Amino acid sequence: MAAFEDDLLALLPRLRRFARALARNAADADDLCQVALEKALVGRASWQPGTRMDSWMYRIMRNSWIDTTRSRARAAQTFVDPDAGLGIGADGGAEARVALGEIDAALHTLPDEQREAVALVLIEGLAYKEAAEILDIPMGTLTSRLVRGRQALMAQLGEAA
Amino acid sequence: MSIDPEMLMAYADGELSPLEARRVERAIAADPALGEEVARHRALRARLSGHFAPVAEEPVPDRLAALLRSNSNVVALPVRKPARRIPGWTRWGGAIAASLVLGLFIGQGLQDPGVVRTHGGQLYAAGTLAGALDQQLASNAGAVQVPISFRDARGSYCRVFTSATADGIACRDSQGWALRQTRAGSSAAKTDYAQAGSTDPALMAAAQEMMAGDPLDAGAEAKAKASGWK
Repeated sequence: MAAFEDDLLALLPRLRRFARALARNAADADDLCQVALEKALVGRASWQPGTRMDSWMYRIMRNSWIDTTRSRARAAQTFVDPDAGLGIGADGGAEARVALGEIDAALHTLPDEQREAVALVLIEGLAYKEAAEILDIPMGTLTSRLVRGRQALMAQLGEAA
Repeated sequence: MSIDPEMLMAYADGELSPLEARRVERAIAADPALGEEVARHRALRARLSGHFAPVAEEPVPDRLAALLRSNSNVVALPVRKPARRIPGWTRWGGAIAASLVLGLFIGQGLQDPGVVRTHGGQLYAAGTLAGALDQQLASNAGAVQVPISFRDARGSYCRVFTSATADGIACRDSQGWALRQTRAGSSAAKTDYAQAGSTDPALMAAAQEMMAGDPLDAGAEAKAKASGWK
């Protein structure tokens, strides 16, 4: 049966887009996709046919991303002063930051919990309820993170009229 | 009655029940600043989804696709190509587009087929669709919603519309609202208790590409409407 793999393959373009909003650069984003796909293949027994595969995959990807950033933060702490700045320790971090556009740069000033809410609702186009379920938080928490993230982005991107 | 920022945002995203939405609309009528905030929320969504839309259009890197192909237990079965996220409607030629779009409007059981007309081989909005494009502001709710308005490179006003029957982008010319983009409606599947949901990111990306400058804010939109979109 290759249907499971086929469905994942069809989802892959959207998963890559979500990863791009979470990670700092395209290379990290595709690494994140790879980790998430490997987890999905190993954990395929936990996939319930008939439920939404996109929600299931977004959740796996988001959890993989948290694992990655945590372990990276631990590794970074042993070498550099945490106050020395974000992005240090990532390979090619400086170039990646130069290449970041205005929108990417603004997104990455948001706290992670706001950025993931913004990514699911505004970039992936999910309903609030779906996003709250993926993030495993109550609706009220989702909307408060979302509104704070958006206000910060509007302020930075000069969206004000 | 005060409207908190979360509620205003949820209104901009079409996440409120009709009852709550009416409350917000009353507040907007009393305070234009609220309407501008709604427009800012929608403009931000359009900008972000437009910015990231190309990622989903890139070819998937081989190493990721290979992960899925090699894992298949069935040897030598070709893997079905992933369904394209954006159908080819963006590139269809005029005649094919015309017949498909007409099929879209009529084939989906719309009782009133008079929402499109042709003029000189170009499809134009007619009937209720043309009415909504003429009259409706982004902050209004209705069977047709018009979340984003902008000017294209030639200076014509264009508007993104969504409805149960069809979504698309229409631009104003001397003959009326020329349909530039159309696809199956996004709000068809919504329940009676939810307003039309988020606008299709692919449609927003298409709007982003056509847009010269930023989307119109509430004030500019009202002014454009008052001048007949000319």
